[in-house]
Amino acid sequence: MASIKLTNVKKIYGKDTVAVQDFNLDVADKEFIVFVGPSGCGKSTTLRMIAGLEDISEGTIEIDDVVVNDLQPRDRDIAMVFQNYALYPHLTVFENMAFSLRLKNVPNDIVYEKVTQAAEILGITEYLTRKPRALSGGQRQRVAIGRAMVRDSKVFLMDEPLSNLDAKLRNQMRAEIILLRQKIDTTFVYVTHDQTEAMTLGDRIVIMKDGFIQQVGTPTEVFDMPLNLFVAEFIGAPKMNTFKTDLIMERGRYYVTPYGAKIEVTGAKADMLREKGIKSREIILGVRPEHITRSDVSDPAAIPCKIKVNEMMGSELHLHVEEDNGDKLIVRIPTVSLDDHERRSMVYGSTIYVTFESKVMHFFNPETEMNLLV
Amino acid sequence: MKKQNDKKIRKTGLGARASRRISNTIIYVILILITVVWLFPFVGILLESFKSETNMQTPYLLPREFGFDHYIRLFKETDFLIWFGNTAIMGVATAVLQTVFILSMSYVLSRLRFKGRKWLMNMMLILGMFPGFLTLILIYKVFADVGLTERMAPLGLIIVYCASSAMGYYVSKGFFDTIPKSLDEAARVDGATRFQVFYKVIMPLSKPIVIYTILMGFMAPWGDFILASYLIHENSQGMNVAVGMYEWLSRTNINTHYTMFCAAGVIVAIPVVAVFLGLQKYYVEGVTGGAVKG
Amino acid sequence: MKRLSNLDYLKLNKWQAFWYNLGLFFCAIPLFFKKLGLGILKFFKNCFFALRDEFVDIGSTFKRGNWAVKLSFFIFGFGNLFYGQILRGILFLLFEIVFVGYMLLPNGGIYWLTKGNWFKVGATVGTVQTQHNVYDEVLDSYTTIWGDDSVKVMLYGLLTFIFIFAFIYTWRLQVKQCRICMDITAKGKKIKSGREDMRSLLDDQFHKTLLALPLTGILAFTVLPIIYMVLVAFTSYDAAHDGSSNLFSWVGLKHFNELFNFGHGGLGLTFGEILSWTLMWAFFATFTNYFLGMFVAIMINKKGIKIKKFWRTVLVMTIAIPQFVSLLYVSKLFTTSGLIGRILDRIPFIYNYRTSNFYVSLWDSPTLARILLIVINIWIGIPHIMLIATGILMNIPQDLYESAKIDGASSVQQFSKITLPYMLFVTGPYLLTSFVGNLNNFNVIYLLSGGNPIKGTAGGASVGHTDLLITWLFKMTVGSPESKYYIASIIGILVFLVVAILSLIIYNVIPSTRNEEDYK
Repeated sequence: MASIKLTNVKKIYGKDTVAVQDFNLDVADKEFIVFVGPSGCGKSTTLRMIAGLEDISEGTIEIDDVVVNDLQPRDRDIAMVFQNYALYPHLTVFENMAFSLRLKNVPNDIVYEKVTQAAEILGITEYLTRKPRALSGGQRQRVAIGRAMVRDSKVFLMDEPLSNLDAKLRNQMRAEIILLRQKIDTTFVYVTHDQTEAMTLGDRIVIMKDGFIQQVGTPTEVFDMPLNLFVAEFIGAPKMNTFKTDLIMERGRYYVTPYGAKIEVTGAKADMLREKGIKSREIILGVRPEHITRSDVSDPAAIPCKIKVNEMMGSELHLHVEEDNGDKLIVRIPTVSLDDHERRSMVYGSTIYVTFESKVMHFFNPETEMNLLV
Repeated sequence: MKKQNDKKIRKTGLGARASRRISNTIIYVILILITVVWLFPFVGILLESFKSETNMQTPYLLPREFGFDHYIRLFKETDFLIWFGNTAIMGVATAVLQTVFILSMSYVLSRLRFKGRKWLMNMMLILGMFPGFLTLILIYKVFADVGLTERMAPLGLIIVYCASSAMGYYVSKGFFDTIPKSLDEAARVDGATRFQVFYKVIMPLSKPIVIYTILMGFMAPWGDFILASYLIHENSQGMNVAVGMYEWLSRTNINTHYTMFCAAGVIVAIPVVAVFLGLQKYYVEGVTGGAVKG
Repeated sequence: MKRLSNLDYLKLNKWQAFWYNLGLFFCAIPLFFKKLGLGILKFFKNCFFALRDEFVDIGSTFKRGNWAVKLSFFIFGFGNLFYGQILRGILFLLFEIVFVGYMLLPNGGIYWLTKGNWFKVGATVGTVQTQHNVYDEVLDSYTTIWGDDSVKVMLYGLLTFIFIFAFIYTWRLQVKQCRICMDITAKGKKIKSGREDMRSLLDDQFHKTLLALPLTGILAFTVLPIIYMVLVAFTSYDAAHDGSSNLFSWVGLKHFNELFNFGHGGLGLTFGEILSWTLMWAFFATFTNYFLGMFVAIMINKKGIKIKKFWRTVLVMTIAIPQFVSLLYVSKLFTTSGLIGRILDRIPFIYNYRTSNFYVSLWDSPTLARILLIVINIWIGIPHIMLIATGILMNIPQDLYESAKIDGASSVQQFSKITLPYMLFVTGPYLLTSFVGNLNNFNVIYLLSGGNPIKGTAGGASVGHTDLLITWLFKMTVGSPESKYYIASIIGILVFLVVAILSLIIYNVIPSTRNEEDYK
């Protein structure tokens, strides 16, 4: 059980390839923290620096208030699960899981007890005598997790552990990791490129891009109040619609004017705009697909769009629509709200009218791409 | 109309099968020819070694008088047994030492990162472009001074074979490169030192390449002529089989030693071929792996 | 030559594209040498800057170092001892003592250095000539006084130079370590103890442990002798001046002239002839083996061919049996008294062809001997490439062939459009190494023809029409009473240059090294 503290961490490859910089983060004891970002954003590098598999170019990393920069991985008391499992092919599942204990010359009865216990939790008891190559992907993944579990280490690191599994198995294992977390109550650092995993697993999420931290916060925070355009578009699926438009202040009320429509901003967002004293200006407006609703011709806030693609997802419909001057939007409509006739009418080329939920719009500065309300 | 179509299909089908049969037949003929050509010298040497009627080259292959005379002469009248023993000792010693050297070097270059690694690899590449045996002019002088030539040449040769053998690290490095790096990392996180990673994780996975390296080391002294003739310098006690037997086929000796050469050749070939064919699988693995990875 | 844009290039037809690429290739050669030159220049520039930085660092270390660090400029390892690194300190100190002792001993380093007359053209290596017939008053007879041995003088001199370099390096190393110790202590951190040092040799310094033995071997048995051989090129070391009975001397570049003298008495012509045959041999030996081996592999691996393993094993026999047995035997098969030689002797066509002789002596005709060598080399070399090709063929994804079949490719087209490009791509580096290997293919030539038929003597050894540079070198250095070691070492240097330049060019031209990802 341990806290982790990263201060001004920087990683440079070769002479001038900067992979990570200005990385500051406090991970509390027993917290589940997720690093998420597109590939090449430096999330895995950061994790590997915590593990001691990469040198730290600048800054310090502390585990339990001890600077670990110069410690070998084996002296850091960490456990790690690798993306490709990294099981030792020449050892049985049991010996794979017992490997770290054997290195420490732990007596056999304790090894036996710990390994079987972990195997029990993960449901792999019957495979203990097999070699890894005789296992399926999901089972290998469990062995890899089990190998980390028997360590009882301070920190549990996971490097994209689910990305080699197929979609169905991935969902199942994700749920199991949540359950597992209740059982092995320790500090987790989890790396993924999948925002769904990040949202569902993390106590807090660290969103990274090009080596910089973009935002740190709970899933709700990063979803409701993305710090910048990148976070806004990265979190949430399908991704947020963003486009340039104008914010207008008239007699103390705020309006946005996308594509000739005029929509009033209401609720908390309007109050915040007022508090910040924001005047009329050009903005980038962000609207999540689920916050676009159907409307009709008579509504002054309605925007006419042509349907280009209709994706039937079962519980909901994803419509890719095109506005008159060529901008594309994604609209998400729950299927229960549609009757048969409506559903049939939504075909390629037909026109629908949409408008935006007035309480949940996001406003970004077009120059800095930062959220105007923060 | 439909019938016609059917016919057409069947016709082309038959044609394809027939043409495949023809091409396969041609291939079999070629392969059999190859087999004859390839095995002819080996069968020849075996048959000629049993000719007890002559010591000379003859215009026929099958022995007229079949016998083991030459084999007996080999052990009675010549130092062949000594040469054979020398070569066998060199083979075993080289196999062991060379394997240690090559595996150390290739493991380091494949798995460990340190300052000067690239530089080291480039240096070895460049050094490898010098004609190696030129170094023998100096080595011979030094070895002659300390008594590692002539009679003691086998010992000197073992040193020469092994000392620089690490420069031939390419094939085994190629093999180590294919073992995922994350295995090392997992082991290190699990608490292993680099040394423990080496002998607990990598070595158990490297059986094919270890065997390949041993095989190469064992075979080298059996075929070496150039280095051996340099150090041995006509002292019969220190010869290996290649140097010893080479003289038998010189213009002056060939008429008295030709069939004996065949007999000796058969005896030399037996252990090497046995080892080689037994471990052929690993040899193929090493050769193909090394070439594909470069 | 103007580079076309990608889209313009696509407009070219087959022949235009061929000429265009050929043009690009030849235009790239001068560019390659320019790049090489610039690279070398940059290397020296970097060396210069690195050296300058070192000096600046040494200066600043001395300036800001405390008295312990300053003292360690003169007493090795003092700083280490001062900061508690007993093990390192003692090792450094020992090194200094050994070095100083070695240099100052009566027969030590300084003695050898002064004996050598290093690089003084005209001066002998070693100062005391061995003299025979010196009158000895006590014995009242003539005896031999043994003087210096040039070979040893040069060797020990060289070793002393290396030792001095090692000394300077170690000095620099320990000064740096002392400074680091000082800095670490100033920050209040702990310094590694001797025990930790030992333990790290199995962990983060594991490479040092593993490399210690192999690198010592390479240094002693390759690097040192090669430097020595390069030095020999500038001396008059030969059988008549072998060092112990007769000193040899420094001659500078004189013997290089001999090699490039194409007139009478010069070696230029012989060298040129041997070099061109060597290149020709390497070319034919490599490519006949390559294509025939691939062909055989494809035949064996064809669907429907049975007992694949048998065919392979038959071929592999030539690898398994020691070459000197098989090659010597085959060589004798083709002599005039050999089995096949005699049969050829009876074929009328060949019989009539050479009317001056009653027999066709394959090994006595330069052209026939060369052809025969290449043919026998096929016998020895095909199995190797066959194995490699088999491995690669199995790696070619089957769906490539399936999709080609659906696209309407015949089996010949499948070979030329899929198999061949794939093979060439993957085996590019192998082709290079096998070409270089054939340049130096001693065994095949020496055991089969021995370099014969003889055409004359050069460099103190007989030279034949089938001699490669390497076999010529061998003859020059072994067993000849007129061995000219200096010529051998000059040729050795030239072989190195040929191999190095060829490798560099090929390495830069073959696709495998340029776009590694293409076939992955």
